[in-house]
Parts: sequence; structure tokens; C-alpha cells
Amino acid sequence: MKNRFWIIIFSAVLIISAGLWILISNLSLSANIVGIYQNNRLIKKIDLNSVTEPYEITISGEAGKNIVQVSNGHIKMKSAQCPDKICVNHGELISNTSPIVCLPNKIVIKFENSSENIDVKTGVK
Amino acid sequence: MSVNAYGNQSKEAVKKVEKEINRLDNLLSVQNKNSDIYKINENKCISPSKETLNIIKKAKKISRLTDGAFDITTEPLTKAWGFSGGAENRVPDKKEIRNILKNVGAENININNGKITLNNNSSVDLGAIAKGYASHKAGEIFNDYKITSALISLGGNVRAVGSKPDGSPWIVGIADPDNTEKQIGTLSVKDTSVITSGGYQRFFESNGKKYHHIINPHTGYPAENGLKSVTVVSEDDTLGDGLTTGLFVMGLDKAIEFYKENGSFGAVFITDNNDIYVTGNIKDIFKSNRSFEVIE
Repeated sequence: MKNRFWIIIFSAVLIISAGLWILISNLSLSANIVGIYQNNRLIKKIDLNSVTEPYEITISGEAGKNIVQVSNGHIKMKSAQCPDKICVNHGELISNTSPIVCLPNKIVIKFENSSENIDVKTGVK
Repeated sequence: MSVNAYGNQSKEAVKKVEKEINRLDNLLSVQNKNSDIYKINENKCISPSKETLNIIKKAKKISRLTDGAFDITTEPLTKAWGFSGGAENRVPDKKEIRNILKNVGAENININNGKITLNNNSSVDLGAIAKGYASHKAGEIFNDYKITSALISLGGNVRAVGSKPDGSPWIVGIADPDNTEKQIGTLSVKDTSVITSGGYQRFFESNGKKYHHIINPHTGYPAENGLKSVTVVSEDDTLGDGLTTGLFVMGLDKAIEFYKENGSFGAVFITDNNDIYVTGNIKDIFKSNRSFEVIE
């Protein structure tokens, strides 16, 4: 009886661990495409996994300039000329539910989900 | 070729589409001895069917529009490189190319009173727009049958008719030029054509150098302007087909200028460095796992 109890507990732990592992690995796979939007318009899409050298992107708006810093696997607002600096204080983009937002310059940086099945392919014989 | 349709009378419509595509192949083929194109090239002066005449007029128009980057008179060049006429692939010498170039250019096709006259050493090949025209005609047949859900793929030239049976857009993958088993991104489309031209589709190697089939009508050599492929999204299949070649020949910078002046189409460019550029008018329907730049 006691043995059976431990087998059930052990199996449950194993199943939950496997489930969590699948969830985390999927999240990390899909969570590295980032879109930078201004005025609700996509201005740049970046695969953070393919960034080899760090670089910066300057975006101008009504409240001055924002500088976005991009490096392998990471993106953050390095500086902003607006008074509140909420976007700079946000730090790195780490979650789907919490995008980097600069309200004065109407900039949003967020993760994109892009995996999809196709119906047909163009460019093949 | 793959043709799929859903709904009432879809089987009959698919049969009719297949028949129509075969008819057009016979009419527009450069090799079929009974085709209008073969007869034009042989006799240099004929009165072809009204349909052939209209396609050639359209080809001339696209040639003018693209400043000759797209041109149907490159036939002697593609033949010299062994990409048409059943000849073996080879690198023609400079003198040969210089001589052929004298007869390349849309000005060598004269259209008058339903008659087409070619200059003596010129010949035409509609290969770069015939599939686009065929998918346009196929789309018309489905519309006649009131089919609201169909997908046509003619050697990778795609025409979406309506949407999927559930009402959602068709998802068209764009082949990765480095590995066509994979795709570099997808376009979600309804009622439009999606056509790709790329140097990776046909090429040969000589002395360690690759030579592909998209010949620049201005130089006589395979276009080397920094692009691996160009995909065009257009409601006008024939124009879209011609533009994929024209924009590929232009190269990215000129193609962007062209888009800004004539933005009636959308495009996805893949450069030799695997950078992806997408025109702003289709950015919302394009998805990719890779980074891309939006052209506004």
C-alpha cells in the first residue's frame, strides 16, 4: 500500500516536471522574436537569437529621441529624452505580458509569436 | 501543378481549370511547334490570337514600367546560357553576348493592327509571365463557378481564391532560398496572387561559379544585384509574375524606389546576406521567425 502511494507521487512529480519543461522550452523558443512599434505601426522586427554584435536603434518622436539597445537574447530602452523614463526603468524585455512602453513617443517593444502551419509554399518548383 | 477547391461544383471547376492551364501551355509555350509564340519566333511576322496579342501588349507594358528590367525578348540570351530551348548550360563568351544584346529590348517587338512583327534576330519567351496569366485565368474560372475557397499553385506561383473554407486567410509560406524544404516566413492572404522568383530555382556551376536563370536584359548576364529572391503579392497575377523578375533584376535599392513610385503591389525581398525586407503595405500579413525590416 505504502509502495503504491510513493509510485503515484513519483509519477505525478515526473509528469508535472515534463509538462513544465515542455512549457518553458516552448516559451523560450517563441519568446525571442521582438517587434518594435511606433504609433501602432511595426517599424522593426528582430530575432534576438540571431544578433551577433550588440547595436543601438534610435527612434525619434514628439518627446525627443529614444535609444533601444539590442544584443544577443536581450533588448532594452537604453535612454529616452522624455521626462518620466518609465521605459528606461522597465529594464530588459523579459515577458510576453509586460512590453516596454514609451507613452510620450508612442513606442511599444514586445515579443511576437510567429510559428504557423502553411497551406502552400511559393518559390518552389 | 496543384489545384484545390472547396464547395459546390468544385470538382467540375477544378477540371475546367486544369484544361484551361493545358490550353494556355499549348498556346504560349516557346517550344511547342503549334504555339503562337513558336510561330512568332519562326516567322517574325504573324497575326496571333487576340489573347496572345494582349499578353504580349501587357508584357511590353511591364517592360516599359520596369525600365527594361523585365523583358520578354531575352529568349536568345536564355537560350545561349542553356536555360531554354533544350540546350546545355554553358557560359557564352562576351562577344556572343554583345551581339545578342543588340536584338534584346521591347522596342524590337512591333504591334500594328493585330499583327506582331519582330526584328530579324529577336525572339520572345513568355515564360516569365505565362504562369501568372494562367493563374489569373484559373481564378476567373473559379469566380464563374462562384467558388469562394480555392488554392492554385503552378510551379510555386500561388493564387488564393477567397479564403479557407472556415473563412480564415490562406497561409502561404515563402521558400527559404538556402533550403526550400523550409520557409523564411508566411503571408496570410485572401483573393490575391503570391509569386516568387529566385536565383536558387535554376542554376548551374562552371569553374566554381554559380550562374542562375534570371538574366539581366541590360547586361546579358545573370542578375547579380544582391538578392536571393523576390516575392510579389498582387491582385494582378500577370503583373505580379513579371514584377518578381523585374524587381530581382533591379536589385534591392532600385526595387524599393520602384515600390515607392508604383506601390500597387506588396513585396518580400531576401538579400544575399539573408536580410529580409517587407513592404509596409503587407507588413501586417507577413510573419517570420527571423528579423525583418519594413519598407514604408
